[in-house]
Amino acid sequence: MTTSTEREDVPDGDPAENDGDGKAAPPVLGLGLLRKSFGRGFWGFAAFAGVSAVLCYVIRGPEEFASAVEDDIQMLLDTLPRVIAAMAIAGLIWVMLPRDRLTRLIGSDSGLRGLVVGTIAGIVTPGGPSSAFSLLAILGGAGADRGALVAYITAWSMLGLQRILVWDVPFMGAEFSLTRFLVCLPLPVLAGLLARRLPFAVVLADPLGGKGRQL
Amino acid sequence: MSIGLVVLYGLLGILALVALARGDETLRLSARRAVEQFFILVPRMFLALMASGFIARLIPSEVIARFLGHEAGFIAIVVASIAGLIVPAGPVIAFSIAAVFARSGASAPALIAFITSWSVFATHRIFIYEIPLLGPSFVRLRLVAAAATPILAGLLAAAVSWVVDIPLVAAP
Repeated sequence: MTTSTEREDVPDGDPAENDGDGKAAPPVLGLGLLRKSFGRGFWGFAAFAGVSAVLCYVIRGPEEFASAVEDDIQMLLDTLPRVIAAMAIAGLIWVMLPRDRLTRLIGSDSGLRGLVVGTIAGIVTPGGPSSAFSLLAILGGAGADRGALVAYITAWSMLGLQRILVWDVPFMGAEFSLTRFLVCLPLPVLAGLLARRLPFAVVLADPLGGKGRQL
Repeated sequence: MSIGLVVLYGLLGILALVALARGDETLRLSARRAVEQFFILVPRMFLALMASGFIARLIPSEVIARFLGHEAGFIAIVVASIAGLIVPAGPVIAFSIAAVFARSGASAPALIAFITSWSVFATHRIFIYEIPLLGPSFVRLRLVAAAATPILAGLLAAAVSWVVDIPLVAAP
């Protein structure tokens, strides 16, 4: 469980005021939303999927192609219920997150402690990428510092307990998984420290339109 | 039904109850946000999942496995880190490939570098989630900041394997 999802206390005031920089969410339900979901990114993906499908058919043959399609559909069916839950959770957290407290915990003045908190939160965040990246976007919009964000998502991806228990241990064995966990343990903090020193300008995307926060 | 899904829906239930207890607009606002994000992500996710399934079939696992043995040392760690970069798919495929590597005699440090590299760079996640939700400038920051982590993990694992043997159980 992450620190942010465990919070049961609520911030004061209208939830609409917690909308990152205080503005109300733009009305994107309807046609505008449809335009966003089938925008440029969508067609790029469509082209990519088409090319990889043709390559698979030509290089590996029709049988392998058919079994790939079957696997893909199965994977999609497995993923959909998770994505629905993850989006609902992310929506609730987005509205209820106590942003001021979060900023103190993992904001730009949080120092090494912020990186450690981010790493631990990443390790214990359950669920797949749809929950982790939604939460990451929320933390970013709520004032988390770039080092803490990098530490969080790096820790979730390389050290996430749920994935280690479900995948690493059965496939690779307990000793191997423990070794990998231990040697990787300092790496998210290291990546976070490096991220704070990198001179890149970072503007967070706002998938719903609007102007993203600058890190 | 997997444990992960149960945890996820349990968490959703708890949060929904908390939101309900607040008795304000929380539920309505959250639901709207959720629907918006769902419709932005799902069409891309569908296509990216299809593409990742096809690409996974094209990865020459047996060829890569030849470079991952104990005798290859540092080179094995580097090759494994690069191999992890090009697996654009979820854990089912990544761990099956790891199992192929393990059966072909890959060293434990190379396998640790591979799994770490795949977990950090999994390209399908970047395209499906990270670019739409965080934006390309964040992706660049994260990739550069974490670029060395698979090699570091492999080297640390090599240091460990000098002291103690790291046993491998590659599942069928």
